[in-house]
Amino acid sequence: MTQKAKSGLLILLPYLAKYRLRVVLIFAFVIIASSIDQAQPYIIKNIIDNHISVPHPDIRGIFRISMGYLGLVLFSFGLTYYQDVLLQFTGQSIVREIRTDLFRHIQNLSLKYFDQNSSGRIITNVVSDTEALNNFFTDFLTNTIRGIFSLVLIVFFMLKLNQTVALYCFLMVPLILGASLIIRRGIQKVNQEMRTRLSAAISFLAENLSGMAIVQIFNQELKQQKEFDQRNKLLLQSTILENRLNLLFFLVTEFLGDAGVAGLVWFGGGAVIRGSISFGVLFAFTVYMRRFFQPINNITQQLNVLQSTIVSSERIRKTFKEHPDIRELPSAVSPSVIGRVAFKNVTFAYRAGQNVLKNINLEIKPGERVGFVGATGAGKTSLMNLLARFYDVNGGVLEIDGQDIKNYSLESIRGSVGIVQQDVTLFSGSVLDNIRFFRKEIPEIHVVEACRLVGADGFIRRLPQGYHTVLSERGSTLSSGERQLLSFARVMVFDPKILILDEATASLDSISEAVLQEAITKVSYGRTLLVIAHRLSTVQQMDYIVVLDHGRIVESGSHEELLRHDGFYQRLHESGILLEGVAV
Amino acid sequence: MSINQNENNLEKKKPSGWHIVSSYVVQNWWVYLAALLLIMVSSKLAVKIPQLIGRFTDQLQHGTLEVQQAAHFAETIMLISFFRVTTVWLGRIIINGHGRILVYQLRKQLLKKWSTLSPSYYQGHSVGDLLSHALSDVEVVRQFASMGISQSINGLSMLTAALYMMAVHMNWHLALAGLGPLIAIPILVGYFGPKIKNQSMHYQSALGSMAQLVEEVIGGIRVVKAFGNEAVTLHRFEEKVEKIVHEKVKFVRLSSLFGSLLPFLSSIGSIVVLSYGGYLTINHTITLGDFAAFFLYLAQLRQPLEQLGQTLNVVQRAAGSLNRISGLLSVVPDVVDDPDAKKEHRVIGNIKVKNLTFRYPGTEKNVLENISFEVEKGKTIGIVGALGSGKSTLTNLLLRLYNPPKGTIFIDGVDILKIPLENLRHGIAYVPQSGFLFSEKILDNIGFSDNSPDLEKAEKAAQSAVVYDNIVEFPDGFNTEIGERGVRLSGGQKQRVAIARMLYKNAPIHILDDSLSAVDTKTERALLHNLRHNSSVKLNSLRRKTTLIISHRLSAVRHADEILVLADGTVSERGTHSHLIHSGGLYSRLWIMQSGTEEEQKVVGVDGNVRYSEPDLSEERNGLPLSLEGEPA
Repeated sequence: MTQKAKSGLLILLPYLAKYRLRVVLIFAFVIIASSIDQAQPYIIKNIIDNHISVPHPDIRGIFRISMGYLGLVLFSFGLTYYQDVLLQFTGQSIVREIRTDLFRHIQNLSLKYFDQNSSGRIITNVVSDTEALNNFFTDFLTNTIRGIFSLVLIVFFMLKLNQTVALYCFLMVPLILGASLIIRRGIQKVNQEMRTRLSAAISFLAENLSGMAIVQIFNQELKQQKEFDQRNKLLLQSTILENRLNLLFFLVTEFLGDAGVAGLVWFGGGAVIRGSISFGVLFAFTVYMRRFFQPINNITQQLNVLQSTIVSSERIRKTFKEHPDIRELPSAVSPSVIGRVAFKNVTFAYRAGQNVLKNINLEIKPGERVGFVGATGAGKTSLMNLLARFYDVNGGVLEIDGQDIKNYSLESIRGSVGIVQQDVTLFSGSVLDNIRFFRKEIPEIHVVEACRLVGADGFIRRLPQGYHTVLSERGSTLSSGERQLLSFARVMVFDPKILILDEATASLDSISEAVLQEAITKVSYGRTLLVIAHRLSTVQQMDYIVVLDHGRIVESGSHEELLRHDGFYQRLHESGILLEGVAV
Repeated sequence: MSINQNENNLEKKKPSGWHIVSSYVVQNWWVYLAALLLIMVSSKLAVKIPQLIGRFTDQLQHGTLEVQQAAHFAETIMLISFFRVTTVWLGRIIINGHGRILVYQLRKQLLKKWSTLSPSYYQGHSVGDLLSHALSDVEVVRQFASMGISQSINGLSMLTAALYMMAVHMNWHLALAGLGPLIAIPILVGYFGPKIKNQSMHYQSALGSMAQLVEEVIGGIRVVKAFGNEAVTLHRFEEKVEKIVHEKVKFVRLSSLFGSLLPFLSSIGSIVVLSYGGYLTINHTITLGDFAAFFLYLAQLRQPLEQLGQTLNVVQRAAGSLNRISGLLSVVPDVVDDPDAKKEHRVIGNIKVKNLTFRYPGTEKNVLENISFEVEKGKTIGIVGALGSGKSTLTNLLLRLYNPPKGTIFIDGVDILKIPLENLRHGIAYVPQSGFLFSEKILDNIGFSDNSPDLEKAEKAAQSAVVYDNIVEFPDGFNTEIGERGVRLSGGQKQRVAIARMLYKNAPIHILDDSLSAVDTKTERALLHNLRHNSSVKLNSLRRKTTLIISHRLSAVRHADEILVLADGTVSERGTHSHLIHSGGLYSRLWIMQSGTEEEQKVVGVDGNVRYSEPDLSEERNGLPLSLEGEPA
């Protein structure tokens, strides 16, 4: 365990400290319950030595002790139950807080973080890594605490029975521990291999099922089956090996237990004959000897859990150390926005040294409609990213209504700048909730109005439950045109003064596009409109068009002006790239 | 054979899955018998040890034991222990190993069955569901066929052996009294197991629902931020987390109760033996050795009895899983060779579609209505239309992914229902819309139709598909892995690799199902040119292929010998590109939408010159794709 890894677990400390009273209580309960459990052989020894193997056996004494022990067992039963529930509940409370803190933290990070980290990694962080912490409480803590106390108590009772015999018994410990660790390590290795092979087999299967038509069309059923057979066989081999090792582990501990008992019979028997210990003591030792294995077993089993907790908590700690690049100034204001936009000598790079926008100067008056064209990578989307303040400029100033964008609160920027993108993001939930973005305070009537405005009302009403239809698989049952209409409606509900359409119609077929063109015309009234498009029919309606190339503005003007100018725009137009849309 | 018939068949014989396991056991009866004997021997040996300790105790108590004899007792215990451990190990690995082999065979059979089923089956069954059969149902069968069988044999034989020793050799009253509470263990496990499992599933699904939300939010983080919606999202997240805590606590209540009941029951058993056994010992009904041995038996039985309870749960779950698997294995494929299929028929490449009307099984609406066309060998036909106009259905029928009605589709004059599937598909090379590729090397993907793909051939195919330059730029060229582990291809690259795969196959008929949608205009032109001329490389033969190009982009079909415009499943227009452009119908309207504006349409009219056919001609002349600057205004 390296120093660095250890510090990962430290993130748990402040949370644990909050619940320290409960933790102490849980520890106390564990000690009491284990004591009752481990006292049993000792009690039997007392009965044998003091009530049975005596000249005048005392049946009443036996009953008395039995009834007393019954009471203790009942008490311990309740205690164990309560302690377990309490521990799990505490663990869950801590995990809940960590999850919420983590999610809040991640959500507030800037887009740069999401560019640099795959969504899979982030999801793993919030879901699995926190779940590993949960396992730390449910499995590791429970079993280790209980295991350690049991072990301590067994040692204690053994020493109390007879120190010499106890010390001999302890000679078994390194043997058990050694065997345990060696086989466990083997099992762990095989387990890992098995999981890899399982996922190889399953992902092969998954791919072939989704591409079954291709397999059949190419007549390759047999080849693919053969290939699967190889993976399947490898999987079979490692599952068999894994099972053998697991059984081996179980049986080696059984055998060692028997060996311990045999040893006791041999040496202990002699001691009884010599009269140095009583038979009751020997019997109690036999039982303790068998009990010795379980806690050791349980604890070694938990080492894996500990390991994955350390890895997970380290990842969580790293995430907490990330800081958002985009921060609100303490003096940030939230005035109502009119919609004037000015880029003043703006330079921007996602990665230092690679400027994607260079000395951009552009003024857009409130209510103006501007089209942006240029090849992929020309910097169109970056321009919009700056306007939504997803990123900050590296040089120059970006102003809204004559004020540096950094002086606004994030809430006010994002309330006044609306974006519609090519890829529509819908969430699991009803159409209504998707359009008002789960803000219950927005009344349904508002949503319906927005939908009427953009022309989405018709198709929504035709859905089985109208506005309350729950979108299955994030709206994949809707056509791309319908999805895009929903995202238009969503923007309209929030009534932004500045509206950005980033290739909003690019993935639509010609007919859906016509519907959306109409929607765009309707919604642009009274707003500053910035449209990125490949299709000529979309951009040529704009008041003027800005042509970007390699991060610079190379031309601007109306469609006719630009065509006359015989420049870049004209060439784009002629080449057909501007006509049909898809560029590389 | 129609689908309805199949469904009836399934109705009639509800498959019971137990025969999967029972017939397997019967087939390997001698293995299972050997394992059974081994485990029984082991139990018999195991119960010897407490008996020995009992006898040792008695001799010790009576003072008749010598140190020598104590050593002898110890030796015997070790010896017995060694054999009992070895025999039970052998017995269990035999059973467990065979259970795993059964599972291996089931997986194999599942894929074999799935390979015979047509897309109509996959439409009704999601890949995720099928995979979960291969994963979890098969896993349950594994548990049943290995752990379930071996533990129940072990548990029962231990119980019998111990009970026999306790009741016959010692005292049956005490045996019953002491074992009573322990007998409750399997019952408890059987009772709590499903409940706990059920609650655990609730917990898992709460966890899954949180994961889904996180996935959606991370995927849509731009939208969340653009709308400043972080607070609302956080609140939704908190609700999900709260639900998890709620389900977990419910789960813990159950599992903790169960977890503390088990030791409680065995403690009760000990107390019974302690008091009643103590009483019997004092009465001299049993010896002190018996008394001691009883405790050891209780300890010995606890684990097998717990496992017996687990087996009950496994059996319960296995019933469902086995039925599902057996159901899967007995699905009858709906597209199969006709019994009097013309085995020797080889596809040459003449396609004829006659009065084809088709609706998908189980639906009400005709997707295609009264479609007729003919493509002679070597000719190209283009099919255009909006989404849902029935374009892809036509491909599905030509490939017989679905069966067309009798007498509607002919290849080389033979009804395709009479052509063996293998021959039919051998004669057609196809590019799907998605450009579906496998997570293998690029070479294996292009040469998918080949058992050992030929690099040279693949290179030529890649050149024709205008993807060669992209491939050689990858770190390992044609040996680059695609997908999760390797490079990710762009949509356009995927489509072009899929086209190379089609070309590699070198079949007489080519079908491109909207396979150029993600390819840029310039590359599309070059590619179409290569397809038309089979030119830039000579793939095995110069013979021209019969080609079917389906597209919603008109630029892809304009060179076709004939173009069909589909609308709502019927042919609304047909003819060559220039014919259709002038006819003023849907095609010409689409052409204007896709290529420019009304204004330009006017230009065409004024000039009296078909502006759009000009690049056409120049391309034909040069035989080269147009460059950016090269196009005349």
